[in-house]
Amino acid sequence: MSNLPFDPLLLSIAAPLAVALAIALGLPKRWSVRLAYAGFGVPALLALYAWWSYGAQPQAHGYALLSSYSTGLDGLGIHLTLGLNGISLPLFVLAGLVGLAAGLYAIQSGAERLKIYLMLLLIMQAGLMGVFASVDVFFFYFFHELALIPTFIMVGIWGGRDRSYAAMKLTIYLTLGAMLSLVGLIALYVKSGANSFDLIALREVIANRPLAETVQHNIFGLLMFGFGILVSLWPFHTWAPLGYGAAPSSAAMLHAGVLKKFGLYGLIQIALPLLPAGVAHWAQVLALLAAVGNVLIVGLITMAQRDLKQVIGYSSVMHMGYAFLGVACFSVLGAGGVVLLMVAHGLSVALLFLLATSIHHRTHTFDLTQMGGLAQKTPVLAAFFVAGTFASIGLPGFANFWGELTIFVALWKFSHVFTVIAVAGVVISAIYGLRAAARVFFGPPTEAFSIVAAAHPPADLSWKEKFPALILLAALLFIGFWPQSLSTPLNATLSAVYAPPAAIAK
Amino acid sequence: MTPVSIALLVLLAPLASAAIIALFLRRSGTLAATMSVTAAVIVAAGAFTLAFGGARFEAATSWLQLGSFTLSLGIKFDDLAALMLVIVGIVGLCVHVFSLGYMHDDAAKARYFGGLSVFMFSMLGIVFADNLFMMFIFWELVGFSSWLLINHWHEKQSASDASKKAFITNRVGDFGFLLGIIMCYWSNGTVNLSELAAGHHVYSTLIPLLLFCGAVGKSAQLPLQVWLPDAMEGPTPVSALIHAATMVAAGIYMLCRINVLMVPDALTVIMWVGTATALYAAFCAIVQRDIKKILAYSTLSQLGYMVAAFGLGSKMIPVSDTMVDAAGKLAVSHWQVLGAATGVGAAMFHLTTHAFFKALLFLGSGSVIHGCHHEQDIFKMGGLSSRMKLTFVTFTIGVAAIIGLPFLAGFFSKDTILYLAYTNNKAVFAILAFTAILTALYMTRLWRITFFGEPRSESAAHAHEGGLTLTLPLMVLAVLAVVAGYTSHYPKVFDGVFELIPEAHGSDHLTILLTSLFVLVVGAGTAFLFYKPAATDALELKSPGLFRLLASKLWFDEIYTYYIDKVQQRFALLLSFLEQIFLAGVIIRGFAGLVGLVGLGARALHVGRISVYVYWFFAGVVILWLFATGVL
Repeated sequence: MSNLPFDPLLLSIAAPLAVALAIALGLPKRWSVRLAYAGFGVPALLALYAWWSYGAQPQAHGYALLSSYSTGLDGLGIHLTLGLNGISLPLFVLAGLVGLAAGLYAIQSGAERLKIYLMLLLIMQAGLMGVFASVDVFFFYFFHELALIPTFIMVGIWGGRDRSYAAMKLTIYLTLGAMLSLVGLIALYVKSGANSFDLIALREVIANRPLAETVQHNIFGLLMFGFGILVSLWPFHTWAPLGYGAAPSSAAMLHAGVLKKFGLYGLIQIALPLLPAGVAHWAQVLALLAAVGNVLIVGLITMAQRDLKQVIGYSSVMHMGYAFLGVACFSVLGAGGVVLLMVAHGLSVALLFLLATSIHHRTHTFDLTQMGGLAQKTPVLAAFFVAGTFASIGLPGFANFWGELTIFVALWKFSHVFTVIAVAGVVISAIYGLRAAARVFFGPPTEAFSIVAAAHPPADLSWKEKFPALILLAALLFIGFWPQSLSTPLNATLSAVYAPPAAIAK
Repeated sequence: MTPVSIALLVLLAPLASAAIIALFLRRSGTLAATMSVTAAVIVAAGAFTLAFGGARFEAATSWLQLGSFTLSLGIKFDDLAALMLVIVGIVGLCVHVFSLGYMHDDAAKARYFGGLSVFMFSMLGIVFADNLFMMFIFWELVGFSSWLLINHWHEKQSASDASKKAFITNRVGDFGFLLGIIMCYWSNGTVNLSELAAGHHVYSTLIPLLLFCGAVGKSAQLPLQVWLPDAMEGPTPVSALIHAATMVAAGIYMLCRINVLMVPDALTVIMWVGTATALYAAFCAIVQRDIKKILAYSTLSQLGYMVAAFGLGSKMIPVSDTMVDAAGKLAVSHWQVLGAATGVGAAMFHLTTHAFFKALLFLGSGSVIHGCHHEQDIFKMGGLSSRMKLTFVTFTIGVAAIIGLPFLAGFFSKDTILYLAYTNNKAVFAILAFTAILTALYMTRLWRITFFGEPRSESAAHAHEGGLTLTLPLMVLAVLAVVAGYTSHYPKVFDGVFELIPEAHGSDHLTILLTSLFVLVVGAGTAFLFYKPAATDALELKSPGLFRLLASKLWFDEIYTYYIDKVQQRFALLLSFLEQIFLAGVIIRGFAGLVGLVGLGARALHVGRISVYVYWFFAGVVILWLFATGVL
């Protein structure tokens, strides 16, 4: 427990839910917006508090701020157990920060039916905080679904081009992925014989009595493909660019930035420690799909895109390939790299989706061939976008670099060929990243854009747009310059959780 | 202050300057300039204090730890770092001051000076880096600052393209560099430079060659040379600092840092890459019209000299028996430098003199461009010797230094390299000597056409000398271009490097001296006879075929463009198309169709009569029971 008079983790989930409920009960618009600031701000502040105080918090079973609440489902071994370890802390912080940025951006967006939009975002935010605060596997899954359903609705109602098709495709893929992983998680629950969904209990039981190898193979297979679909593992990735292309910006920020990390987080936090033989069995397949599919093929496909949102969407799929490669390494270094990359990618992709929308407001198009020279009119917007681009292509000084570097180093131990492919991705991402930035901002304006700019002279980034972007950029730089702020707790947890099973797998 | 805190101050002052400019001084160009120049002064002062104070130290701190992997940031300050630091400090300060005048009226002055500060920070990081991961971090950052500054006039399509090309080409080199670092880490268990030098390491040709890829990109060696001439789109002071004196020389500095990892086969490759680049770029320089492009190709060529020098001299031999280490790998227990790493000495010596005279030449060209109202075509200049006297005199010193006029800086350092080639490889010697003829030729051509004859354009006729901020740096660098070669008179603080410089003796000494005099006379003489100050290129008139061949630059750009547009991009489009068709279309829709069919079948079963449902329910129970008891 913390020194605070309340449980910060529970409050971080409850606050946005309470605001969402209040809005649903018919709060007037003005108050809805005011309360929404609190609904997004409280989780962010609590996340920062958790980050700042993590080292000083007493730990129980490897978790800080551990607390458990009865939910009336004790018979099934389900408790609302909340806590943070070194793996979940970085993602909890990510959820808080991206949630705040997405919330602020949504509030200033002036979307139609703003109240419902904010309500859905707040429900999503509560789910996101819950996913990473849950120690109980049941609630881990439950909160994911809680966050997922608003995504579908937001894409379907507030989406852009092809929104119905995108919403449908998103729903089918993500539900399929979620169902597969649910089967895997239930199988884990049943086969472990722990009679509990509590991850701490599961770990203890399985450490004493590891699952049979074939069981591990099957469960890991289910989780790998189930979670894999959710994280856009090639070739199950086509929902991502389409979905993000259609999604309203705040929903895209929250989904691509945070919710998508659910699958990887599940692999790192649950699957790898509990199913070492399963990882060993599937690692080559996973790495092959990730390296050739996500990094190489999707990387090249990204280069062929003409639409700014598609570039960002595909590049996000590509970077998830690095994360899967880190998972395949099955080492403290590899898994640590994945967590660092998850946080970094979450921040940078959210930043880029946010800025893409701001660009669209000024160019009235996402088509890269219809832009050009925007930097002359909007130097600050250009600076932010360039920073986001360089972050996402792994420039040192931004958080992404640490994730990529550690994964590459870990990967060499696993496979030389995949390392070569992965590092080649660094060149590919530089090509599409700089190309996109140059086409939007540099050189003389295209004819099409000159006409648009004459009709609607583009103004530079306003403070309302700038502030959420600044939150994300500041976090990217802070972790980029001070990676140990995340890697120290991460290393402690991973070393403790991974050491025994990793030894078994070898 | 302790040496470590001075070093930290030197490293962090430009970072602080960049951060303050980015956050607060975006709209106040003058304040930003003051801030940036102040940082440059601190760097220069700190560099002198550290280098000449004699303190040599190492300090490191762990920055990221995951499992057994630890990444440290640290400072390795030996004589080599001290020398590089002083070069960066002096040239950096000169360029900052020059920029005050040159960029005085620029609309985005704050961004420019912020960029310079980012560059200084990044470059100093490379100089101080005590391990390869740290070097890689700053290596990428100089690439970024180079991108930022080439792209300074971003409204020009050419500047935007050039900056992109520079960054991506560098990343191609870094692809190898990073793989080399990772491989070095796992093979040797460390990437710390001192530990590598002191401890055992695995005999590998691949590791040094992969690391060399980084130098090929950054120092623009064949076949990644294409970005450097285009990088001249950046403001001229940037070209002087980044694309002539310091950043592009970082590749050579890095090679000297990892000297201990070198093996004979790798050195042979390095030697030939450098030699080929030196010759190729010198040929390209002969037919350029743009004053900065000539200097850019000249830089390429001189970098080739340095790389060749490194490859020629740094031979290592195993001096004791090989043995099997704990990991079961063949490890050589001890390596010894053959001929005392003369390559490091020669390469760093030329790097030093080149930094001064090439920065001088670039700033001189900047002064000329500034004087001629942004005219860069030398055939539209002429007659500047009387109109811009100070620039003329200092530029002349620079030209004399680079073509190896006796007793100037370039004469000594180039002779050292020629001597090294003469004793190691006669073919390389012949090529490098021939390159020296070409160097004298194209530099004399540039000098004569720019400064003599009648002004051939309106802007040249009205050329004027700039203010003190422009001329003062020229004078400082001109002095250095004269005296930098006299290493024996330097303070003893750089002996760790300069003791490695090979010295010619006896008949070899005479041979080299005569060669370089011959080279100078032939090259400069030909240029004098052939090129008159005129509006057209004499070679183009007299031998159009040869001119076109040289102007083609062997079609490197065309071949790469063809590959990018016609192969890579088309392949990407094909993949994108296939994905649309197969993944998103046929396969996924196919699955959906399959599910639909099942649904259709299922619907047929739902006829709406209770009795039928009961039958199906019963069948289900039976199947489940059979399954549970293991019959199925």
